[in-house]
Amino acid sequence: MNSAGIAVQFSALPPGVVMILAAIAVPWIPHMARQAWMLAAIALSAWGLTTGAGEHFVWTALGYEFVLYRADALTVPFALIFHIAAALNVFYSAHDRKWTEHMPSLAYAGAAIAAVHAGDLVSLFFWWEATAVTSVFLILSAGTSRAQKAAMRYLLVQVASGVLLLAGAAVLAAEGAGIAFEAFDFNGPGAIGVWLVFLAFGIKAAFPFLNGWLQDAYPEATATGTVALSAFTTKLAIYALARGFPGTDMLIWIGAAMTALPVFFAVIENDLRRVLAFSLNNQLGFMVVAVGIGTPLAINGAVAHAFVHIIYKALLFMSMGAVLYRVGTVKASALGGLYRHMPFTMVCCIIGAMSISAFPLFSGFVAKSLTMSALGYSGIVWAYLVLLFASAGVLEHSGIKIPYFAFFAHGTAYDKKLFADGEAPVGMRIAMGIAALLCIGIGVFPAPLYSILPHAIDYSPYDASHVVGQMQLLVFAMLAFIGLIRFGLYPPEIPSTVLNSDWFYRRLAPRIGRPILAAIASVWTSFVTVLRGYRDALWDLVERVMHAPITGPTVPGRAVMVQTILLTVILAVGYLVAG
Amino acid sequence: MVPTNTNAETDAALQRLGRNFTRLLVLIAIILVPLEFIAHRHGEIALEDIPLFPAIYGFLAFVFIVYAGRALRLLIMRREEYYDE
Repeated sequence: MNSAGIAVQFSALPPGVVMILAAIAVPWIPHMARQAWMLAAIALSAWGLTTGAGEHFVWTALGYEFVLYRADALTVPFALIFHIAAALNVFYSAHDRKWTEHMPSLAYAGAAIAAVHAGDLVSLFFWWEATAVTSVFLILSAGTSRAQKAAMRYLLVQVASGVLLLAGAAVLAAEGAGIAFEAFDFNGPGAIGVWLVFLAFGIKAAFPFLNGWLQDAYPEATATGTVALSAFTTKLAIYALARGFPGTDMLIWIGAAMTALPVFFAVIENDLRRVLAFSLNNQLGFMVVAVGIGTPLAINGAVAHAFVHIIYKALLFMSMGAVLYRVGTVKASALGGLYRHMPFTMVCCIIGAMSISAFPLFSGFVAKSLTMSALGYSGIVWAYLVLLFASAGVLEHSGIKIPYFAFFAHGTAYDKKLFADGEAPVGMRIAMGIAALLCIGIGVFPAPLYSILPHAIDYSPYDASHVVGQMQLLVFAMLAFIGLIRFGLYPPEIPSTVLNSDWFYRRLAPRIGRPILAAIASVWTSFVTVLRGYRDALWDLVERVMHAPITGPTVPGRAVMVQTILLTVILAVGYLVAG
Repeated sequence: MVPTNTNAETDAALQRLGRNFTRLLVLIAIILVPLEFIAHRHGEIALEDIPLFPAIYGFLAFVFIVYAGRALRLLIMRREEYYDE
């Protein structure tokens, strides 16, 4: 095969697949060389993006067209940011000498990237499940029994989402709507299939009441695992919604609820990584609303938000991961005063906090402004006010609570040995540093980000009116926080469990289900007992008939009688069957 | 390994830090009020054109979120070991 042939084949290979292939070799490569290997695989996969727009790999089988590599204006920003997130993870986890987490982490990122390039629902289903099966190892790696249980619940929910997707694809194919992954029509053929696909996407996008898995599982993963988890699964769902359901009004309602509800849970949650998981849910809400509006400006808002969100959310999870790695806990009630011990992590955390809170000159501002403007133009006032309210909520839990309780709050006496090696490991600091620079870089120079969005726009977030309005919202909300703290009105952090929608299947379903199962089991047992009685009686009868002639005196008449009865029965059965 | 006791020296430093930060924030807030009129701030929706609307909305939303969260504790807060039992 000549080199041109290889080049042609590589250009048709869906991006991400090369990362999955490279992951297979990860266990056999020694520690630091492994990080270089993984970066090379990510770079090679990213090079595959240069093939450009179009359908590059279509496989026709069983009368269907499976589009394994489709690239267009919507896939590019997601593919780019997924590669960036995967590379950041390699740096962040460089201190980890074991291969057990690196391998699934690289494969997971690869599966998510391949999923973005799937042009039909069956290929999408394949990668959709691949992200579930690979990512579950990041939760299992924590090694605790809590993590194991959470991982199994996570896997069940994720696989269920995939099954719904496949069922939806089957209905659509059967009804003649085809399996191509394009915008769906709720009123077209195979409407049930469309609903199934919508539900599948809704689970991964953590819609209200379908979100329990997110806050349940993510905070149970390892310090490095949660960072990887935060980037891919949910944003893949946002991509899928933007592709399949742009302009679906229902999404504005769903998204608005997603922005507002987690805010209240995050206020009282004690585990700071779980606070970030609620915050992640709230951020997804902004993107879902934007997809629901569906105008070019709004879709740009959703994509830009997903792009910058992956960076600053990873940065926040990284900073809490560094705290977890050094101190061994991220419980707000047990932390405080860490700014002296981990100043670099603290600064990075605050940059992430200011980005997610959408301070001007930080990346969140330039992305969220698109969605807010699109919402303003569409004239949906109630949703606009809900999102503005949720923006104050973001400031509360991610902007203030995370950095405040981890690094300030009060001076906690830590064991000196904890920080003997300095603060976070070098790899973690490199990853946090790059992410922090990206947060500021995109915030100050949004033009490159705007240039890769699906629709060409002429939009400037930095007009005086807009900046002053946003600063007022944030600064006066911060003053409210300071007032509440000063007057002792801010509720203290309490070690506790905050109930979420996973309660329905972790507590309610077992409570209702167990008695029902017990009742069914006891009915079944007594039924089996009765059957066993009949069976024994029948055997006794057979025994008596069969043994009596042998043990007793031989009576020819009885043998004839038994044969006659048997023949009669066979005859009767024969007539019944024939008749 | 979970640290529990607090460090008095850090506490004092934190209080100084807190005071300075509060002063800075109040200063920014004071500057933002006249900027409201100099920049002719206007919103995406008509309601936002009310003078100092974002400041008032942000302040009230924040207080509401904290108090609503506090009230919500009665309903959805359980012991840390709730699911382990």
